[in-house]
Amino acid sequence: MMAPLVQVEHLEKRFGSVRALDGVSFMVEAGEWIAIMGPSGSGKTTLINILGGLDRPSAGRVIVDGLEISEHSEQELTRYRAEKIGFIFQQFHLVPYLTALENVMLAQYFHSLTDENEAAEALKRVGLDGRSTHLPSQLSGGEQQRVAIARALINHPKLILADEPTGNLDEANEVIVLNLLRGLHRAGHTILVVTHSQAIGNLADRRIELEHGRLARIAIATGARNAVARPQT
Amino acid sequence: MFWRIFWHLLGASRARLALALVTLASGAAITSALLNIDLDAERKLTREFRTLGANVVVAPPSESSEAALVDAAAMDRIAALRSRLLSVAAPYLYIAASAGPQPVILAGTWFDQVSKMNSWWKVDGNWITARDDRSQCLVGRIAARQLGLAPGSLVELRAGDHKISLRVAGIVTAGSAEDNQILTSLAVAQELAGLPGRLSLIQLSVAGTPIEIEAFMSRLAGVLPGLDVRPVRQLAAAEGSLLARIRGLIFWTMLLILTLTTLGVLASMAALAMERSRDVGLMKALGGSVRRIMRLFRTEAGALGLLGGTIGFVAGVILARWVGGRVFGVAISPRWEVFPVTVALSVGVALAGAFPLRLLGRVRPAEILRGE
Repeated sequence: MMAPLVQVEHLEKRFGSVRALDGVSFMVEAGEWIAIMGPSGSGKTTLINILGGLDRPSAGRVIVDGLEISEHSEQELTRYRAEKIGFIFQQFHLVPYLTALENVMLAQYFHSLTDENEAAEALKRVGLDGRSTHLPSQLSGGEQQRVAIARALINHPKLILADEPTGNLDEANEVIVLNLLRGLHRAGHTILVVTHSQAIGNLADRRIELEHGRLARIAIATGARNAVARPQT
Repeated sequence: MFWRIFWHLLGASRARLALALVTLASGAAITSALLNIDLDAERKLTREFRTLGANVVVAPPSESSEAALVDAAAMDRIAALRSRLLSVAAPYLYIAASAGPQPVILAGTWFDQVSKMNSWWKVDGNWITARDDRSQCLVGRIAARQLGLAPGSLVELRAGDHKISLRVAGIVTAGSAEDNQILTSLAVAQELAGLPGRLSLIQLSVAGTPIEIEAFMSRLAGVLPGLDVRPVRQLAAAEGSLLARIRGLIFWTMLLILTLTTLGVLASMAALAMERSRDVGLMKALGGSVRRIMRLFRTEAGALGLLGGTIGFVAGVILARWVGGRVFGVAISPRWEVFPVTVALSVGVALAGAFPLRLLGRVRPAEILRGE
């Protein structure tokens, strides 16, 4: 039996006296699409930040692709982010003075070597082959998010972490982005999406629902949409 | 990719970077001007000091009797050195004489050399330009008052059995011993004293740096055995002290300018760091190492320093020429060795001023991306 790609055990994160995450445990198999849901302040973004190596847990263990990242040094976390993680943010977070192509190449640069053709191909895959020389300010929100998706995929990450990827998009662009995520899922990528949207949650294989930093439940959506799994203890 | 990001980075922050560049170039210009002046000041000051009279004296050894004299052939030996440092050499024979009933010190010398060496003397009447003028004399201001002499007067000088009548060409105000003396040609003094071919001392005006003057004096001592070759202490000390003061002033001004420049660059870079914190947070989130991101900023600061230093050097040369013209009356020549020093200082200041950008290495990407 293969080890899970992501293993979270008794995860805690405290900001002063506030417990953002309180004893969260779950596992994610490779190739799964997981929706992390819950009301505002429930700890969704904190969880995804810890999984992405952007933040450190106060207690508990996080193992991704066999690496216990909760024990990693700052330098090791930097390499982990470059090699294992593809980020998609709600605010897109593109470098404003770099073109679409260069924004994708930036991730390549921090990973290893840049390959302009490969970066152009990644933009083509998200339907932006004619926009590679445009600056973010010259692109629509949906196009910026597609650049961010191309950037997230360019280094073939083990795990794609998306924080409200459609939160700033209109309906038409939301459909485009969700179709892209679907395509990635079908291609075997492991995706964790933080979302408020029930519709997006239903597209995932499983929904991990948080409340007040605790795991409220894990709902299996795909293939058994009505089945509800109780949280691991 | 590094250079692509680098050029875009420069373009994106051009207003703030331009401000930092102006600050750096201004600091470098003043630094370059001061360094140019510092290197040239010694040469210029030495030249200025040479107009203030003799700075080296050749005389019989101080322990010998007061009557000891120098052989006039010493002048030929000095001339034979053909040194470019030797500006003027004036022989002197001092004798006790009388003008009418009054005793007076008579200084026989070469008029042409004395006028060159003491161009700052004030002369009421005329200088005597012929070296061996046997018909005229110059009279010191105090001696002229005591003897009741004025330009055009006749004065009869007597020493022992010899006497001569001379016309007063001018009254000299020197502010020194010459104010009490009568200056005649050397030949006249030697005839009156009955000491042909003899001198009391030789005054020399030697140009060059203190080290060059020291070396010249050693050469001189070599060709004039048995004679004392010594510097005019007051002048040498004044020159050394003035040079040291100017050097000190230049050093402290430079330090102040460099500190102010660093503070100016710091202010620009602090604002730039605020602007870039989001980009740095994002770069770190994408796996950019602190070392790699900082290399961008260090290169940027280095390039700014390089450009600022180069512009500043050119501006500094122009400034130094202008200051040289105002202070020394001649332009300061550009010294190329100042260029690498100016650029190195400018790069150092730019890197020190870029300190706020280095603090960006501590940015926590999660906080920045959350918008904190």
